[in-house]
Amino acid sequence: MPSAPNAPALASAKLIDPQALMSIRSLELRARAVVEGFWSGMHRSPYHGFSVEFTEYRQYTPGDDPRYLDWRVYARSDRFFIKKYEDETNLRVHLVADQSRSMEYGSRGVTKSVYAATLAATLAYFLHLQGDAVGLMTFDERIREYLPARHRAGHLRQLMLALERPAGGRATDFTSPLERITALIRKRAMVVLVSDFLAPLDRLERNLAALAACGHEVTLFQVLDPAELNLGFDQPALFEDVESARTLYIDPAVARAGYVQKFTAHTAALQAMARKLGVTFHRLTTDQALELALFEFLQARMRRGRQFRRARNGGGT
Amino acid sequence: MNFLTPFFLIGGLAIAAPVIFHLVRKITREKTAFSSLMFLLPSPPRLSQRHRLEHWLLLLLRCAALALLALGFARPFLRQAPVDDPTVALPRRMAILVDTSASLRREGLWEAARARVSDVLRRAGPTDQVAIYRFDQQATALVSFEDWNRTAPGDRVTFALGRVATLAPTWSGTHLGKALVTAAEALAEEEGKTAPGLRQIVLISDLQAGSRLDTLQAYEWPKGVDLLLETVVAKNSTNAGVQIVADGPDSTRAADAPVRVRVSNAAESKREQFQLGWTRTATNAAATTPAPADFVGPAIDAYVPPGQSRVFSLPLPKGEANRVQITLRGDDEPFDNSATFIPPVQQRATVLWLGADTAEEVRQPLFFLRRAFAETPRLAVQVVTQAPSAPRLPSDLAAAQIIFVGGAIPAETAAALRAQAEAGKVIVFALQKGDTTAGATLGALTGREPLRVAELRPAAYAMLAEIDFQHPLFAPFADPRFSDFTKIHFWQYRQFDAKALPGARVVARFDSGDPAMVDVPIGKGRLTVLASGWQPDDSQLAVSSKFVPLVWSLLELGGGLGSFVTQYAVGDPVNVPAGGATAVRGPDGIDVALAAGATSFSATVQPGLYEFTGGTRPVRFAVNLDANESRTAPLAADDLEQLGVRVSRGGAAPVVPVENKTLLQGIETENRQKLWRWFIAATLAVLLLETLLAGWTTRRRAAVTNEVSP
Repeated sequence: MPSAPNAPALASAKLIDPQALMSIRSLELRARAVVEGFWSGMHRSPYHGFSVEFTEYRQYTPGDDPRYLDWRVYARSDRFFIKKYEDETNLRVHLVADQSRSMEYGSRGVTKSVYAATLAATLAYFLHLQGDAVGLMTFDERIREYLPARHRAGHLRQLMLALERPAGGRATDFTSPLERITALIRKRAMVVLVSDFLAPLDRLERNLAALAACGHEVTLFQVLDPAELNLGFDQPALFEDVESARTLYIDPAVARAGYVQKFTAHTAALQAMARKLGVTFHRLTTDQALELALFEFLQARMRRGRQFRRARNGGGT
Repeated sequence: MNFLTPFFLIGGLAIAAPVIFHLVRKITREKTAFSSLMFLLPSPPRLSQRHRLEHWLLLLLRCAALALLALGFARPFLRQAPVDDPTVALPRRMAILVDTSASLRREGLWEAARARVSDVLRRAGPTDQVAIYRFDQQATALVSFEDWNRTAPGDRVTFALGRVATLAPTWSGTHLGKALVTAAEALAEEEGKTAPGLRQIVLISDLQAGSRLDTLQAYEWPKGVDLLLETVVAKNSTNAGVQIVADGPDSTRAADAPVRVRVSNAAESKREQFQLGWTRTATNAAATTPAPADFVGPAIDAYVPPGQSRVFSLPLPKGEANRVQITLRGDDEPFDNSATFIPPVQQRATVLWLGADTAEEVRQPLFFLRRAFAETPRLAVQVVTQAPSAPRLPSDLAAAQIIFVGGAIPAETAAALRAQAEAGKVIVFALQKGDTTAGATLGALTGREPLRVAELRPAAYAMLAEIDFQHPLFAPFADPRFSDFTKIHFWQYRQFDAKALPGARVVARFDSGDPAMVDVPIGKGRLTVLASGWQPDDSQLAVSSKFVPLVWSLLELGGGLGSFVTQYAVGDPVNVPAGGATAVRGPDGIDVALAAGATSFSATVQPGLYEFTGGTRPVRFAVNLDANESRTAPLAADDLEQLGVRVSRGGAAPVVPVENKTLLQGIETENRQKLWRWFIAATLAVLLLETLLAGWTTRRRAAVTNEVSP
């Protein structure tokens, strides 16, 4: 497995400004630009392969499905080996993207939904290059699109199109997509949830716990606008909730302290929940380069892989 | 600057509102979308230090609008020196009209009216000019402006009250319109002499519905004259009155027929059941205040609902018809409860017929003449027939009101007739067929040479073609409905030269152009010449519908219908009847001497029985109260306003204390200056400016925002 680029190396590389990136209309091109820019910051060849799972042969035992016998090994060594690695080592990644109305907010020209779609597309493209199967589910208050995890020609294109489709929903409801994903994924997989998580967390915790309990690896990407972090407004105004259309007269100078306090508490609760469930959590703002997201993702993956291997070796299996 | 309602200036504190609003950070109407409000709480608007100087012009305009509005509502006025104030500087001219009509005789009214006069006089300022008029049928000055000005200022009120104290209600009707016109003209008369000030008529009256206002209809009410109503209200609201429904001279009712009496009940009356009957006439002064007396004969119950009037037939008491009057009982106000009645007397007239024919000859003129003068209950015409040749006394001729000549008469008779005509008699000379002396008679009657009279018989018939309907004889036929005389055919007539008669007026001509009827004035009397007789041999005139009115017209010309009217209202002038009356005895038994040659008597000042005395025979007439005086329901002020009178609705203004005078002057000055209108106009102008400025500011800001974030 190739090692991920280290952070200084990435920092020295020329990152693409998100605003410049989003000026590329095609989502696929954006994803490609991010991934290739990411590779260009690495010293090793990007096309060397980057398997996220260890491959192995297992000796055939009666009862195994003969379809999975590696006939080439049998011809060479006259022994039956099962090509179990292909099935188990290729990663199935399910990208779950929030397309609710709150994701349409963007204070610096880049909306959270565009940023999130680009992030999802980048991950999909990257994983597709590695040969992993990538699926997609978009949702708002209900499930909008679902593409099962596959790795075949044209699937990535479909996925990009689904991500590019304009969101029509309003509110955010994590329950139904996560329950659906839990029901749909039979095999162990990776679930990447991209959202702003600006919704009550009580149900989310239950759904994520169910996913984690099924053995799936869950990664949360919280996409936020910089203005959401510290209520970056100067003038008092009527603020309208884009999801509920509720309006409030807010003087930011007065309301900022309370907002930051509540917002920090919310984010802290989300992170605490992630820690508790063993879920990887990343927070991104729309002014951050997407390569960093990819880097953090891979770094977390590697960290997790090491933990996994240590655990397995330690277990004597 | 002074203010009439300074409390409204407190409203000026509202200026604080725009100041605060300008200090408050502007609540924008523009919405800012945000991903989620779940971490936000609404924050109250707070004062902004930075906004203090923003939009200062708008703030100024808004403050100015509020201040101007408050000032306008405070009714500002500029107090001027009294010299500059035309209405204060100039003396107020006031004409006080005191109603002395019969309706003021109701209980308590006259005292109240006098008290009102006193009030009004005491209210008058030292510079005011006051005149007092009393009015009923006529308005007469009691205190003129000259009297007022002549009197020392300190004695004026006493002087005027002294004059008013001599007044008492009369029995006359209320001619309010005439009185108002008199007072208005008296106020307007002085206009040329002094600059116009506040001119006012103060009407102190019971303002009854029976007041006559017809004079006002043709009068243009002068500008600047106000009418202030000082209405006195009667204690008793119930009032009913009696009036005799007099028969006209043409009435065919019998002389002893029941008298028709109208009982009117005022609209505000509380009673509706009365008794009507005859009572004996008092012959002294007490007649003016009817004392309870027993009814002569049976009384009848009269049920008259309030606001209505009903007519009752009251049979004359036998044997006492000349000593009784009609009396109403059950009413609160007695002033109009009696009416004097004189039973009608049949008039007599004498017509003298000088002709050879007798009444039994049905084809002769006399036969038709007798039937034309049929007797009526009011008039009995006696047709006296004499042969033309019979010797007669001048008194025979003088007794007749009209003399018809229907044949040849001797010359001396003609001369006697001419003498009668010159004395004022009417001679009717109908030219008869075969009367050879007709021309000579005609000449003798007119004092000329004998005329040539020719017999003429048209081929078919002649008819009246040219009629002078202006002449009293034909005036009753002037209406186109009655002016058709073409159906009367004349078979024959006598032709004579009308121009030969001095001063002759051809009243009617035949279709041939010959005169048919000629009127010749002779001395005080007249001669009417008919070219044809009315009997069927000569014409169809006697059997036509025109004949009877025509001979009655002739009788009227002769003075035979001069019936004397016996029913009058108080104040009406009464024509002195022929007979040389020298005095009139009133209801109080006092004789009033008539001036020599007086033709009318107008001192009918109280109701009752009057009598012309000193003449050939006593002639009685009854004077009753004006029927309108019984209509005592109050008159609406609107009725006066509809006739153009400017009624000031101040009502009975209380005597103004000295400390309130300043306030009243302030009110007057403010009413005249009306500065508040300018303040309101200025407010509107400022608001318009503010709107324009605010609109411009908003547009400018929007343009700037669009430029910043395209």
